[in-house]
Amino acid sequence: MSTELAFAHALLRPDAPCPAGLRAWNGSDPVKRYAVYRNNVVVSLVDALADSHPVTQALVGEAFFRAMAGEFARRSPPRSPVLAWYGEGFADFVADFPPAAGLPYLADLARLEWLRVEAWHAADADPLPLAEVAALLADEAALPNLRVTLHPALRVLRSAHPVVSLWAAHQSEDAAGALGAIDFAAAEAALLVRDGLDVALLRVEPGAAAFIYRLQRGDALGAAAQAAAPFDLPATLGLLLRHGAIAAMRTS
Amino acid sequence: MNKTVTAASLALAFGAALSLAAAPAAAQDKMADKEKCYGVALKGKNDCKAGAGTSCAGTSKIDYQGNAWSMVPKGTCEKTASPTSPTGHGQLMAFKEKKV
Amino acid sequence: MTSANPHRPIRGGAAPAAHATLPARGGVGLKPEHFRHILDTRPDIGFFEVHAENYMVAGGPFHHYLERIRADTPLSIHGVGLSIGGEGPLDEAHLDRLAALLARYRPESFSEHLAWSSHGGAFLNDLLPAPYHAGTLARVCAHIDRVQERLGRRMLLENPATYVEFEASTMAETDFISEVVGRTGCGLLLDVNNAYVACVNHGRDARAYLRALPLTAVGEIHLAGHAHDVDAAGAPLLIDSHGAPVAEAVWDLYAYAITLAGPQPTLIERDNDLPAFPVLAAEARQAEIVMARQAALEAA
Repeated sequence: MSTELAFAHALLRPDAPCPAGLRAWNGSDPVKRYAVYRNNVVVSLVDALADSHPVTQALVGEAFFRAMAGEFARRSPPRSPVLAWYGEGFADFVADFPPAAGLPYLADLARLEWLRVEAWHAADADPLPLAEVAALLADEAALPNLRVTLHPALRVLRSAHPVVSLWAAHQSEDAAGALGAIDFAAAEAALLVRDGLDVALLRVEPGAAAFIYRLQRGDALGAAAQAAAPFDLPATLGLLLRHGAIAAMRTS
Repeated sequence: MNKTVTAASLALAFGAALSLAAAPAAAQDKMADKEKCYGVALKGKNDCKAGAGTSCAGTSKIDYQGNAWSMVPKGTCEKTASPTSPTGHGQLMAFKEKKV
Repeated sequence: MTSANPHRPIRGGAAPAAHATLPARGGVGLKPEHFRHILDTRPDIGFFEVHAENYMVAGGPFHHYLERIRADTPLSIHGVGLSIGGEGPLDEAHLDRLAALLARYRPESFSEHLAWSSHGGAFLNDLLPAPYHAGTLARVCAHIDRVQERLGRRMLLENPATYVEFEASTMAETDFISEVVGRTGCGLLLDVNNAYVACVNHGRDARAYLRALPLTAVGEIHLAGHAHDVDAAGAPLLIDSHGAPVAEAVWDLYAYAITLAGPQPTLIERDNDLPAFPVLAAEARQAEIVMARQAALEAA
């Protein structure tokens, strides 16, 4: 076994013995020294997940979150040195983590927070000027076939749980009061958009979220609007335009 | 499924959307934006620090893995009324060393 | 390997023409928590340093602020993910990302660590130690040759803070670093806190350690705080925590390093328990005071 393999092997395995071949100048047991590395690997990865998932952590408490995130980190360490992208897959892990089974909304909440990370770091894009949108209306017949390029930071999430209300409650002064008022039977959909240098999170109708999702995957405007459940189309388009979320519209 | 979305209805919708988008901020506040919400800023996650040694939270104690599988959520979830929980709160289920 | 290397050491103060150098002043590690404050107050800081990997994202606030802050302040880009000390080949995709980042920000300095952090496709997010012997030396030199070739510039290599040593080591760390610098022409990022931490952890004399390093190759100095722990025998085990002010003993060692290496761009690193920006700016000024005091002594 190579030195590196032996050293790496035990870092993510709490029960594995300390690798052979280590020494200390004073002859002390190197286990304690090796534990510094072992600890730092897991703690630093858990810290990264905690920074990306503050509401998930608040919901379950720090101790539970760190234990759950530690499990994830040992099973699924990052594949890239770019830690901003560490945590894709965490929500799926949460969904299958038995001790969290009593909180059925938790995985979607983690998913929502992950989308916020993606939106935060996504590419920048200029919005399509409203005058150009207006100009496109001149050719009314072409409108159903337009394909919309949405801002690279835009994300939508449809959940069977009130994830937007849960998330928003944790941003409010009176989190306990806001949490007590949530209807846990309600399905909710979230829209995440860049707002200046911040990411704004809005609750939208499930039909509007489905419409935006279809636009994002490349469906033409007419088909996307028609396939979604009933929703307020003018208000939804207004929302997208107002947040600079439409970068381009082209006939295909 | 929506009623048939025609070219004319799309034109109408866009027309209305443009006037919404061009409306002053005060008027916009009355629309869906009242639900708009922001969270805390994200930090840079890569650094070159070495943690806090062997004694800080989340250490690799030998029994740590077992603890992870027998813990119960104790956060703001306890303030929610959960319909799926027999206690009416975040369900407090303990699992002992059970792996999926 | 080394004979074909175009990046021989540049001695005698002749700076490479392609890149301006960092000023011999105090600098501060740039953290997102301080972006707004820095843009609002425009503090007089010698240079800023960022961790390369934090800016390997497409857009958003990190780039927005870095572009504006970098516009009027020298910049050092400090990598923490290349795994130069690793047994496996360099991650060429990561090297591509680095090249793109350096092309975008044109930093005055680029540095990385004498450490490894990736193994078998997993990134372990820690600066892990390697044994010092001929095999590691050959790999580290080959990796640095490749980095300097791909990036088209000289890099600085940082001495590590370590907690264990290897039975397989056949060379002193200082000899190992000297060989790497001599063979690859890379510069040295002298981390004085790392030197102090490693010397305490391994029962060495920190001043002798500094004297044994190739100090003519120093291009930057790092200062940071450390934490105290003990090993299994109760001996002090210092942790490179970056979570406290620079320790008195490290300031003393820094002053000694300046007498040996002359004034150097000196970074205050803080990654944990981040204080308000002026606290770090004051430590950067302290480094400038130490350098000025030494210059006055030499002039007298």
